[in-house]
Amino acid sequence: MFKGTNASAGIGIGKAAIIKEEEMVIRPDKVASVETEVTRFRGALADTVAQTKALEETLATRVGQKEAEIMQGHLMLLADPMLTGEIEEAIKRDSVCSEYAIETTCTTYADVFAAMDDELMQQRATDMRDIKTRLQQVLQGIKPVDIASLPEGSIIVAKDLTPSMTAGINPANVTGIVTELGGKTSHSAILARALEIPAVVAVSNVMDKIADGDSIVLDGSEGIVIVKPTDQEMDEYTAKRESFLQEKKDLERFKGVPTVTKDGVHIELVANIGNPDDLAKVLEYDGEGVGLFRTEFLFMDRTSMPTEEEQFEAYKKVAEGLSGKPVIIRTLDIGGDKEIPYMGLAKDENPFLGYRAIRLCLDRKEDIYRPQLRALLRASAFGGIKIMIPMITCIDEIREAKALIEDIKNELDRKDIAYNKNIQIGIMVETAAASLMADVFAKEVDFFSIGTNDLTQYTMSVDRGNDKISYLYSTFNPAVLRSIRNVIKCGREAGIMVGMCGEAASDPLMIPLLLAFGLNEFSMSASAILKSRKMITGYSTEELLAVADKAMSFVTAKEVEAYMKEFVNQ
Amino acid sequence: MVTAKVVIRNLTGLHLRPAGILCNKAILYKSRIQFRTDDATTANAKSVLSVLGACVKSGDEIEFICEGEDEQEALDSMIRVVEEGLGE
Repeated sequence: MFKGTNASAGIGIGKAAIIKEEEMVIRPDKVASVETEVTRFRGALADTVAQTKALEETLATRVGQKEAEIMQGHLMLLADPMLTGEIEEAIKRDSVCSEYAIETTCTTYADVFAAMDDELMQQRATDMRDIKTRLQQVLQGIKPVDIASLPEGSIIVAKDLTPSMTAGINPANVTGIVTELGGKTSHSAILARALEIPAVVAVSNVMDKIADGDSIVLDGSEGIVIVKPTDQEMDEYTAKRESFLQEKKDLERFKGVPTVTKDGVHIELVANIGNPDDLAKVLEYDGEGVGLFRTEFLFMDRTSMPTEEEQFEAYKKVAEGLSGKPVIIRTLDIGGDKEIPYMGLAKDENPFLGYRAIRLCLDRKEDIYRPQLRALLRASAFGGIKIMIPMITCIDEIREAKALIEDIKNELDRKDIAYNKNIQIGIMVETAAASLMADVFAKEVDFFSIGTNDLTQYTMSVDRGNDKISYLYSTFNPAVLRSIRNVIKCGREAGIMVGMCGEAASDPLMIPLLLAFGLNEFSMSASAILKSRKMITGYSTEELLAVADKAMSFVTAKEVEAYMKEFVNQ
Repeated sequence: MVTAKVVIRNLTGLHLRPAGILCNKAILYKSRIQFRTDDATTANAKSVLSVLGACVKSGDEIEFICEGEDEQEALDSMIRVVEEGLGE
């Protein structure tokens, strides 16, 4: 059994098809006439461009426009005058063959990209190497590996799949993909997910361990590859595949179904997102809106503060994309644990108890908070935006933030700029102080969202990154559960919505408890939505009350968890 | 020779697609079109590779330098295409 990175979910069972590019020996052979050689290169370039265009069309029709963009990128690079100029220059200068000139020129660029501190740029290195190989193959008359004609039930085993190889994959015949290189965001992983083919990548030295035709079982959800499985393993994984496919089909049925419990309680089932591109996933899994849009991405990996205009565009894009459905946007939640040079933040001794989130924003109203709130208010004219303030510990913070929002509203009124005048303003409840003061805070805001990851950390005084004390970090701890129950109760008494955007919201053992406590909104990663909807629609909150009472009678996290496991599995 | 500065506003900076749009515009002009970044890297605006190699991020300011018979026209066009967001 080999371990790798789980790149595309599902179980693949089949026969190994080893995919190897034909070895090419590239030597600095001298040429007699550089003019003839340049002409030879130009001919090969034209053929490669034509091939790439054909691949682009195949991808666009068989997989999708987004996947075809990889090939459009290759076309841009092939059309680059600097690249082709340098290759021709090398041929002329050294009187070498085109293959060698391509080898040195493309490798230089690939190495430059690979060394850049930016994942997108590093992917360009893969593109450069792919282009290099295809140009050389055309020159040498070597046919590219033909993946399209693999027999049914093939599991592709390769060092790495180049974008041009993946373009030829026929999902009807390929039941799995195993590669030695790559990562979750590499071309092959993205394509495997788009085609819904189970894939495990980054399995070290896998090419030495698997022979062509070997029987293989792979688990793309767990990142496991088994070569020559025993009968028992074969049975086990055949069953796993059946249940995976069955569950997928089952969950499909929950698309478009309202999230209502058996006793008629309507629940809002929404998604956590990190940037506007995540919208596609929310729509795919039928999210009813966004319960947490983290705005940090706008501020990271750059050299200056994002402008109000840039932020406005990003917020507007999400609001419009969800056509009026609720979109809760959390204002900047950042502190001394993040490296953002242009903000000039001093290193905090204790960043999670330090100068961060609302504390920082209220201290830097003019350059940080006002532009962000202004962008949010303006974007609220285009959809269901609600503003959420993180890390609240005392009422002054709420009042000060609200006063600032009022001030901006007045300014927008004066300038006749559109915004939603009734925009809802809520807070994250994630500190012990906010939980204890929930009854008071509930009268000041329009909604609560419980951030269980931080609430657990702060309630238990446990650093969630520290392995030695990880046994303390459990949302099932009675102290945390009491806190959650109290926040929900206070919110309900004040008549405001109470949601949850931490990991607990999609935990199958936690969902029955949260329903019993009266949580209105569950926000989670988009891929967990259908599964959670299936669970929620199967329960009656009335029946769960007794379960919650029983769970709350235990005094340790272990007992609560064991009891919930027993309840859910029965 | 004419020059002008502009700030890159694309969320992802000058990545492959925006760089491609920039280059497609640049090759329409006869002038030599380059840009300089804060750390004094100079890139050829007609080459995707050269543009990518400059590693320009969102929020960075770049200075276009155009030289040739249609330099003013080229410069105006480059500034416009950047301000329009390079296809984003």
